[in-house]
Amino acid sequence: MDMGPLIAYEIISENTNLFFAFLIGIGFGFVLESSGFSSSRKLVGIFYGYDTVVLKVFFTAGITTMLGLLFFSLFGWIDLSLIFINPTYLYSAIIGGIIMGAGFIIGGFCPGTGVCAAAIGKIDAMMFLVGIFIGITFFNETYPLWEGLFKASYLGTPKISELFGISDGLMALLFVLMAMAAFWLGERFEKIKKPVVY
Amino acid sequence: MKPRILLAIFAVPLALIIAAVPENTTHAFKLTPSELLEEANSGVQYYSPDEIADMIIKEDPSLQLIDVRNADEFEKFNLPGAMNIPLTDILSEDWQAYLDQDIRINIFYSNGSLKSDKAWMITRQLGYENNYVLMGGLNYWVETIMNPTSPNATSPDEEFAKYDFRKGAGSALGGSAGAMNESTTSSKPALPVIRSKPKKKRVQGGC
Repeated sequence: MDMGPLIAYEIISENTNLFFAFLIGIGFGFVLESSGFSSSRKLVGIFYGYDTVVLKVFFTAGITTMLGLLFFSLFGWIDLSLIFINPTYLYSAIIGGIIMGAGFIIGGFCPGTGVCAAAIGKIDAMMFLVGIFIGITFFNETYPLWEGLFKASYLGTPKISELFGISDGLMALLFVLMAMAAFWLGERFEKIKKPVVY
Repeated sequence: MKPRILLAIFAVPLALIIAAVPENTTHAFKLTPSELLEEANSGVQYYSPDEIADMIIKEDPSLQLIDVRNADEFEKFNLPGAMNIPLTDILSEDWQAYLDQDIRINIFYSNGSLKSDKAWMITRQLGYENNYVLMGGLNYWVETIMNPTSPNATSPDEEFAKYDFRKGAGSALGGSAGAMNESTTSSKPALPVIRSKPKKKRVQGGC
Protein backbone atom coordinates (compact mmCIF):
# COMPACT_ATOMS: atom_id res chain seq x y z
CA MET A 1 0.00 0.00 0.00
CA ASP A 2 1.31 3.40 -0.92
CA MET A 3 2.19 5.56 2.00
CA GLY A 4 3.92 8.44 0.39
CA PRO A 5 4.50 11.19 -0.46
CA LEU A 6 3.29 12.05 3.02
CA ILE A 7 1.55 15.30 2.02
CA ALA A 8 -0.22 13.97 -1.07
CA TYR A 9 -1.65 11.14 1.03
CA GLU A 10 -2.62 13.63 3.72
CA ILE A 11 -0.65 11.72 6.35
CA ILE A 12 0.99 14.97 7.43
CA SER A 13 -0.20 18.54 6.96
CA GLU A 14 1.59 21.30 5.06
CA ASN A 15 2.68 22.83 8.35
CA THR A 16 4.11 19.58 9.69
CA ASN A 17 5.88 19.29 6.37
CA LEU A 18 7.50 22.69 6.92
CA PHE A 19 8.62 21.52 10.34
CA PHE A 20 10.27 18.43 8.79
CA ALA A 21 11.82 20.71 6.17
CA PHE A 22 13.26 22.79 9.03
CA LEU A 23 14.82 19.70 10.66
CA ILE A 24 16.17 18.44 7.34
CA GLY A 25 17.52 21.94 6.64
CA ILE A 26 19.47 21.87 9.90
CA GLY A 27 20.85 18.46 8.91
CA PHE A 28 21.77 19.78 5.48
CA GLY A 29 23.58 22.77 6.96
CA PHE A 30 25.40 20.49 9.39
CA VAL A 31 26.61 18.23 6.57
CA LEU A 32 27.71 21.23 4.49
CA GLU A 33 29.70 22.67 7.36
CA SER A 34 31.22 19.35 8.42
CA SER A 35 32.25 18.60 4.81
CA GLY A 36 34.16 21.87 4.79
CA PHE A 37 31.74 23.55 2.38
CA SER A 38 31.82 26.85 4.22
CA SER A 39 35.29 27.39 2.76
CA SER A 40 35.09 28.95 -0.67
CA ARG A 41 38.58 27.67 -1.50
CA LYS A 42 37.35 24.13 -1.03
CA LEU A 43 34.20 24.81 -3.05
CA VAL A 44 35.90 26.31 -6.09
CA GLY A 45 38.48 23.51 -6.01
CA ILE A 46 36.07 21.61 -8.22
CA PHE A 47 36.60 24.18 -10.98
CA TYR A 48 40.39 24.05 -10.75
CA GLY A 49 40.62 20.32 -10.17
CA TYR A 50 42.47 20.33 -6.85
CA ASP A 51 39.50 19.31 -4.68
CA THR A 52 36.49 17.31 -5.85
CA VAL A 53 34.69 16.93 -2.54
CA VAL A 54 31.76 19.00 -3.85
CA LEU A 55 31.26 16.54 -6.66
CA LYS A 56 31.51 13.61 -4.26
CA VAL A 57 29.11 14.93 -1.66
CA PHE A 58 26.39 15.97 -4.11
CA PHE A 59 26.74 12.97 -6.39
CA THR A 60 26.64 10.64 -3.36
CA ALA A 61 23.55 12.41 -2.01
CA GLY A 62 21.96 12.11 -5.45
CA ILE A 63 22.55 8.39 -5.94
CA THR A 64 21.54 7.60 -2.34
CA THR A 65 18.23 9.41 -2.79
CA MET A 66 17.69 7.94 -6.23
CA LEU A 67 18.25 4.36 -5.09
CA GLY A 68 16.18 4.96 -1.96
CA LEU A 69 13.19 6.27 -3.92
CA LEU A 70 13.35 3.47 -6.47
CA PHE A 71 13.48 0.82 -3.75
CA PHE A 72 10.65 2.51 -1.82
CA SER A 73 8.63 2.45 -5.02
CA LEU A 74 9.51 -1.21 -5.56
CA PHE A 75 8.27 -2.05 -2.07
CA GLY A 76 5.11 -0.02 -2.73
CA TRP A 77 5.91 2.56 -0.04
CA ILE A 78 5.82 5.61 -2.25
CA ASP A 79 3.99 6.64 -5.40
CA LEU A 80 6.67 8.13 -7.64
CA SER A 81 4.08 9.75 -9.92
CA LEU A 82 3.26 12.12 -7.04
CA ILE A 83 6.83 13.22 -6.36
CA PHE A 84 7.55 16.85 -7.20
CA ILE A 85 9.75 17.27 -10.25
CA ASN A 86 11.02 20.75 -10.95
CA PRO A 87 9.41 21.73 -14.27
CA THR A 88 11.85 22.41 -17.08
CA TYR A 89 11.89 25.75 -18.88
CA LEU A 90 14.80 25.14 -21.22
CA TYR A 91 16.11 28.68 -21.75
CA SER A 92 15.66 29.57 -18.09
CA ALA A 93 17.62 26.47 -17.14
CA ILE A 94 20.50 27.27 -19.52
CA ILE A 95 20.73 30.99 -18.76
CA GLY A 96 20.12 30.46 -15.07
CA GLY A 97 22.82 27.79 -15.05
CA ILE A 98 25.34 30.16 -16.62
CA ILE A 99 24.53 32.97 -14.17
CA MET A 100 24.59 30.61 -11.21
CA GLY A 101 27.90 29.08 -12.36
CA ALA A 102 29.50 32.48 -12.90
CA GLY A 103 28.27 33.63 -9.49
CA PHE A 104 29.62 30.44 -7.95
CA ILE A 105 33.13 30.96 -9.39
CA ILE A 106 33.25 34.71 -8.70
CA GLY A 107 31.69 34.58 -5.24
CA GLY A 108 33.13 31.26 -4.17
CA PHE A 109 29.83 30.03 -2.73
CA CYS A 110 26.54 28.62 -3.85
CA PRO A 111 23.46 29.94 -2.03
CA GLY A 112 23.29 27.14 0.55
CA THR A 113 26.97 27.18 1.39
CA GLY A 114 26.90 30.99 1.40
CA VAL A 115 24.36 30.94 4.24
CA CYS A 116 26.40 28.23 5.99
CA ALA A 117 29.60 30.25 5.81
CA ALA A 118 27.82 33.45 6.88
CA ALA A 119 26.51 31.53 9.90
CA ILE A 120 30.07 30.77 11.06
CA GLY A 121 30.97 34.43 10.64
CA LYS A 122 32.71 34.68 7.27
CA ILE A 123 32.46 38.25 6.03
CA ASP A 124 32.92 37.38 2.34
CA ALA A 125 29.91 35.03 2.64
CA MET A 126 27.83 37.82 4.17
CA MET A 127 28.74 40.06 1.24
CA PHE A 128 27.81 37.16 -1.07
CA LEU A 129 24.36 37.00 0.56
CA VAL A 130 23.93 40.75 0.11
CA GLY A 131 24.68 40.17 -3.57
CA ILE A 132 22.10 37.38 -3.74
CA PHE A 133 19.41 39.63 -2.27
CA ILE A 134 20.26 42.44 -4.67
CA GLY A 135 19.98 39.92 -7.53
CA ILE A 136 16.66 38.57 -6.26
CA THR A 137 15.23 42.06 -5.85
CA PHE A 138 16.44 43.11 -9.30
CA PHE A 139 14.94 40.01 -10.92
CA ASN A 140 11.59 40.41 -9.18
CA GLU A 141 11.29 44.13 -9.86
CA THR A 142 12.10 43.70 -13.55
CA TYR A 143 10.25 40.38 -13.91
CA PRO A 144 7.84 41.61 -16.65
CA LEU A 145 10.88 42.24 -18.87
CA TRP A 146 12.05 38.66 -18.52
CA GLU A 147 8.74 36.85 -18.32
CA GLY A 148 8.70 35.81 -22.00
CA LEU A 149 12.22 34.42 -21.83
CA PHE A 150 11.65 32.94 -18.36
CA LYS A 151 8.71 30.85 -19.52
CA ALA A 152 10.01 30.03 -23.00
CA SER A 153 10.44 26.45 -24.20
CA TYR A 154 8.45 24.77 -21.45
CA LEU A 155 9.11 21.02 -21.49
CA GLY A 156 7.00 19.88 -18.55
CA THR A 157 8.78 17.39 -16.32
CA PRO A 158 10.84 15.27 -18.69
CA LYS A 159 13.05 12.47 -17.41
CA ILE A 160 16.28 11.33 -19.06
CA SER A 161 15.07 7.72 -18.84
CA GLU A 162 11.99 8.70 -20.90
CA LEU A 163 14.18 10.47 -23.45
CA PHE A 164 16.30 7.36 -23.93
CA GLY A 165 13.30 5.05 -23.65
CA ILE A 166 14.85 2.96 -20.88
CA SER A 167 13.53 2.03 -17.44
CA ASP A 168 14.18 4.21 -14.42
CA GLY A 169 16.13 1.35 -12.88
CA LEU A 170 18.53 1.04 -15.82
CA MET A 171 19.00 4.80 -15.84
CA ALA A 172 19.82 4.61 -12.14
CA LEU A 173 22.47 1.98 -12.81
CA LEU A 174 24.06 4.11 -15.55
CA PHE A 175 24.00 7.11 -13.22
CA VAL A 176 25.70 5.18 -10.40
CA LEU A 177 28.39 3.95 -12.80
CA MET A 178 28.81 7.51 -14.02
CA ALA A 179 29.25 8.68 -10.41
CA MET A 180 31.87 6.02 -9.74
CA ALA A 181 33.78 7.01 -12.87
CA ALA A 182 33.55 10.68 -11.89
CA PHE A 183 34.87 9.96 -8.39
CA TRP A 184 37.76 7.97 -9.79
CA LEU A 185 38.63 10.70 -12.30
CA GLY A 186 38.31 13.34 -9.59
CA GLU A 187 40.81 11.59 -7.35
CA ARG A 188 43.21 11.25 -10.27
CA PHE A 189 43.04 15.02 -10.81
CA GLU A 190 43.56 15.68 -7.11
CA LYS A 191 46.79 13.67 -7.27
CA ILE A 192 48.08 15.58 -10.31
CA LYS A 193 47.35 19.02 -8.85
CA LYS A 194 49.48 20.13 -5.97
CA PRO A 195 47.60 20.12 -2.64
CA VAL A 196 46.17 23.40 -1.44
CA VAL A 197 46.18 24.40 2.20
CA TYR A 198 42.95 26.09 3.27
CA MET B 1 39.59 1.22 2.24
CA LYS B 2 38.83 4.37 0.31
CA PRO B 3 35.35 5.83 0.80
CA ARG B 4 34.95 5.72 -2.97
CA ILE B 5 35.43 1.94 -3.02
CA LEU B 6 33.17 1.47 -0.01
CA LEU B 7 30.41 3.46 -1.69
CA ALA B 8 30.83 1.45 -4.88
CA ILE B 9 30.50 -1.82 -2.94
CA PHE B 10 27.07 -0.70 -1.68
CA ALA B 11 25.69 1.40 -4.52
CA VAL B 12 26.61 -0.67 -7.57
CA PRO B 13 24.93 -3.94 -6.45
CA LEU B 14 21.84 -2.01 -5.35
CA ALA B 15 21.70 -0.26 -8.73
CA LEU B 16 22.08 -3.63 -10.47
CA ILE B 17 19.11 -4.96 -8.50
CA ILE B 18 16.96 -1.94 -9.26
CA ALA B 19 17.91 -2.13 -12.95
CA ALA B 20 16.95 -5.80 -13.10
CA VAL B 21 13.56 -5.72 -11.36
CA PRO B 22 10.41 -4.56 -13.13
CA GLU B 23 9.03 -1.20 -12.11
CA ASN B 24 6.44 -1.31 -9.39
CA THR B 25 2.92 -1.34 -10.78
CA THR B 26 1.15 -2.49 -7.66
CA HIS B 27 -0.33 0.86 -6.65
CA ALA B 28 -3.47 0.36 -8.80
CA PHE B 29 -4.93 -1.83 -6.08
CA LYS B 30 -5.38 -0.43 -2.62
CA LEU B 31 -6.21 -3.40 -0.43
CA THR B 32 -4.34 -6.59 0.25
CA PRO B 33 -6.35 -9.81 -0.15
CA SER B 34 -6.52 -10.29 3.62
CA GLU B 35 -7.74 -6.72 4.15
CA LEU B 36 -10.45 -7.23 1.55
CA LEU B 37 -11.45 -10.56 3.05
CA GLU B 38 -11.73 -8.97 6.46
CA GLU B 39 -13.94 -6.17 5.12
CA ALA B 40 -16.09 -8.56 3.12
CA ASN B 41 -16.60 -10.84 6.12
CA SER B 42 -17.39 -8.02 8.51
CA GLY B 43 -20.35 -7.06 6.30
CA VAL B 44 -19.67 -3.33 6.50
CA GLN B 45 -20.80 -3.06 2.87
CA TYR B 46 -24.43 -3.95 3.64
CA TYR B 47 -27.40 -1.64 4.01
CA SER B 48 -30.60 -3.37 5.15
CA PRO B 49 -33.80 -3.02 3.07
CA ASP B 50 -35.35 -1.06 5.98
CA GLU B 51 -32.59 1.54 5.91
CA ILE B 52 -32.88 1.90 2.14
CA ALA B 53 -36.69 2.11 2.21
CA ASP B 54 -36.43 4.82 4.82
CA MET B 55 -33.94 6.78 2.67
CA ILE B 56 -36.08 6.43 -0.46
CA ILE B 57 -39.22 7.65 1.31
CA LYS B 58 -37.40 10.58 2.87
CA GLU B 59 -35.92 11.33 -0.58
CA ASP B 60 -32.46 11.41 0.93
CA PRO B 61 -30.37 13.30 -1.65
CA SER B 62 -27.22 11.43 -0.72
CA LEU B 63 -28.71 8.10 -1.80
CA GLN B 64 -27.84 6.76 -5.24
CA LEU B 65 -29.23 3.32 -6.02
CA ILE B 66 -27.27 1.47 -8.70
CA ASP B 67 -28.82 -1.50 -10.45
CA VAL B 68 -26.02 -3.84 -11.54
CA ARG B 69 -28.28 -6.27 -13.42
CA ASN B 70 -28.39 -6.08 -17.20
CA ALA B 71 -30.45 -3.46 -19.03
CA ASP B 72 -33.40 -5.79 -19.80
CA GLU B 73 -33.93 -6.68 -16.18
CA PHE B 74 -33.55 -3.03 -15.23
CA GLU B 75 -36.29 -2.03 -17.72
CA LYS B 76 -38.70 -4.57 -16.26
CA PHE B 77 -38.36 -3.50 -12.67
CA ASN B 78 -36.19 -1.11 -10.74
CA LEU B 79 -36.21 0.73 -7.48
CA PRO B 80 -37.22 4.41 -7.52
CA GLY B 81 -34.35 6.71 -8.52
CA ALA B 82 -32.04 3.86 -9.48
CA MET B 83 -29.56 4.09 -12.30
CA ASN B 84 -28.37 1.12 -14.32
CA ILE B 85 -24.70 0.13 -14.42
CA PRO B 86 -24.57 -3.50 -15.60
CA LEU B 87 -21.84 -5.45 -13.81
CA THR B 88 -20.14 -6.17 -17.14
CA ASP B 89 -19.75 -2.42 -17.75
CA ILE B 90 -18.58 -1.50 -14.29
CA LEU B 91 -14.99 -0.81 -15.33
CA SER B 92 -16.08 1.47 -18.17
CA GLU B 93 -14.71 5.02 -18.06
CA ASP B 94 -18.27 6.36 -18.40
CA TRP B 95 -19.19 5.29 -14.88
CA GLN B 96 -16.00 6.10 -13.08
CA ALA B 97 -17.19 9.54 -11.99
CA TYR B 98 -20.27 7.96 -10.40
CA LEU B 99 -18.40 5.20 -8.62
CA ASP B 100 -15.30 7.11 -7.52
CA GLN B 101 -16.76 10.08 -5.66
CA ASP B 102 -17.23 11.28 -2.13
CA ILE B 103 -20.64 12.96 -2.23
CA ARG B 104 -23.23 10.20 -2.49
CA ILE B 105 -23.84 6.84 -0.94
CA ASN B 106 -23.94 4.37 -3.80
CA ILE B 107 -26.04 1.28 -3.10
CA PHE B 108 -25.53 -1.62 -5.49
CA TYR B 109 -28.40 -4.04 -5.88
CA SER B 110 -29.19 -7.06 -8.03
CA ASN B 111 -31.70 -9.91 -7.70
CA GLY B 112 -29.79 -11.58 -4.93
CA SER B 113 -26.67 -9.96 -3.54
CA LEU B 114 -24.17 -11.96 -5.59
CA LYS B 115 -23.75 -9.50 -8.48
CA SER B 116 -23.87 -6.47 -6.23
CA ASP B 117 -21.26 -8.03 -3.96
CA LYS B 118 -19.04 -8.51 -7.00
CA ALA B 119 -19.55 -4.87 -7.96
CA TRP B 120 -18.68 -3.80 -4.42
CA MET B 121 -15.54 -5.95 -4.36
CA ILE B 122 -14.30 -4.55 -7.65
CA THR B 123 -14.89 -0.93 -6.71
CA ARG B 124 -13.47 -1.47 -3.24
CA GLN B 125 -10.37 -3.04 -4.67
CA LEU B 126 -9.98 -0.01 -6.96
CA GLY B 127 -9.88 2.04 -3.77
CA TYR B 128 -13.25 3.77 -4.27
CA GLU B 129 -15.17 4.85 -1.19
CA ASN B 130 -18.91 5.22 -0.55
CA ASN B 131 -20.07 2.09 -2.37
CA TYR B 132 -22.40 -0.29 -0.53
CA VAL B 133 -24.70 -3.23 -1.16
CA LEU B 134 -28.42 -3.72 -0.58
CA MET B 135 -28.52 -6.70 1.75
CA GLY B 136 -30.23 -9.68 0.13
CA GLY B 137 -30.91 -7.79 -3.08
CA LEU B 138 -34.33 -7.37 -4.69
CA ASN B 139 -35.52 -10.80 -3.53
CA TYR B 140 -35.09 -9.86 0.10
CA TRP B 141 -36.45 -6.37 -0.67
CA VAL B 142 -39.70 -7.85 -2.01
CA GLU B 143 -39.90 -10.26 0.89
CA THR B 144 -39.39 -7.65 3.60
CA ILE B 145 -40.68 -4.34 2.21
CA MET B 146 -43.18 -5.24 -0.47
CA ASN B 147 -44.79 -8.26 1.19
CA PRO B 148 -43.93 -8.13 4.85
CA THR B 149 -45.24 -11.02 6.96
CA SER B 150 -46.88 -10.12 10.21
CA PRO B 151 -44.97 -11.30 13.25
CA ASN B 152 -46.36 -13.83 15.71
CA ALA B 153 -48.65 -12.52 18.39
CA THR B 154 -45.98 -13.41 20.96
CA SER B 155 -43.23 -11.41 19.19
CA PRO B 156 -41.63 -8.50 20.98
CA ASP B 157 -42.87 -4.98 20.32
CA GLU B 158 -39.88 -4.14 18.12
CA GLU B 159 -40.99 -6.77 15.63
CA PHE B 160 -44.39 -5.13 15.39
CA ALA B 161 -42.85 -1.69 14.99
CA LYS B 162 -40.67 -3.05 12.19
CA TYR B 163 -43.67 -4.69 10.59
CA ASP B 164 -45.66 -1.47 10.74
CA PHE B 165 -42.81 0.45 9.16
CA ARG B 166 -42.41 -2.12 6.40
CA LYS B 167 -46.14 -2.17 5.70
CA GLY B 168 -46.17 1.62 5.43
CA ALA B 169 -43.00 1.75 3.37
CA GLY B 170 -44.23 -1.06 1.15
CA SER B 171 -47.46 0.68 0.30
CA ALA B 172 -45.68 3.99 -0.20
CA LEU B 173 -43.30 2.30 -2.62
CA GLY B 174 -46.04 0.39 -4.43
CA GLY B 175 -45.83 -2.94 -2.61
CA SER B 176 -48.59 -5.47 -2.00
CA ALA B 177 -50.96 -2.69 -0.97
CA GLY B 178 -50.67 -1.04 -4.36
CA ALA B 179 -49.64 -2.31 -7.78
CA MET B 180 -46.04 -3.50 -8.22
CA ASN B 181 -43.89 -0.72 -9.58
CA GLU B 182 -43.73 -1.58 -13.28
CA SER B 183 -41.14 0.84 -14.45
CA THR B 184 -41.33 2.55 -17.78
CA THR B 185 -38.38 3.90 -19.68
CA SER B 186 -39.71 7.43 -19.26
CA SER B 187 -39.35 7.19 -15.51
CA LYS B 188 -35.64 6.54 -15.81
CA PRO B 189 -33.98 9.11 -13.57
CA ALA B 190 -31.86 11.83 -15.05
CA LEU B 191 -28.26 11.08 -14.28
CA PRO B 192 -27.17 13.34 -11.48
CA VAL B 193 -24.23 15.60 -12.11
CA ILE B 194 -21.57 14.44 -9.77
CA ARG B 195 -18.33 16.21 -9.29
CA SER B 196 -15.52 13.73 -9.35
CA LYS B 197 -13.30 14.13 -6.35
CA PRO B 198 -10.03 15.84 -7.10
CA LYS B 199 -7.18 13.48 -7.84
CA LYS B 200 -4.18 13.47 -5.61
CA LYS B 201 -1.87 16.14 -6.90
CA ARG B 202 1.85 16.26 -7.17
CA VAL B 203 3.41 17.87 -4.16
CA GLN B 204 4.53 21.39 -4.93
CA GLY B 205 7.93 22.39 -3.82
CA GLY B 206 11.50 22.62 -4.87
CA CYS B 207 14.62 24.33 -3.76
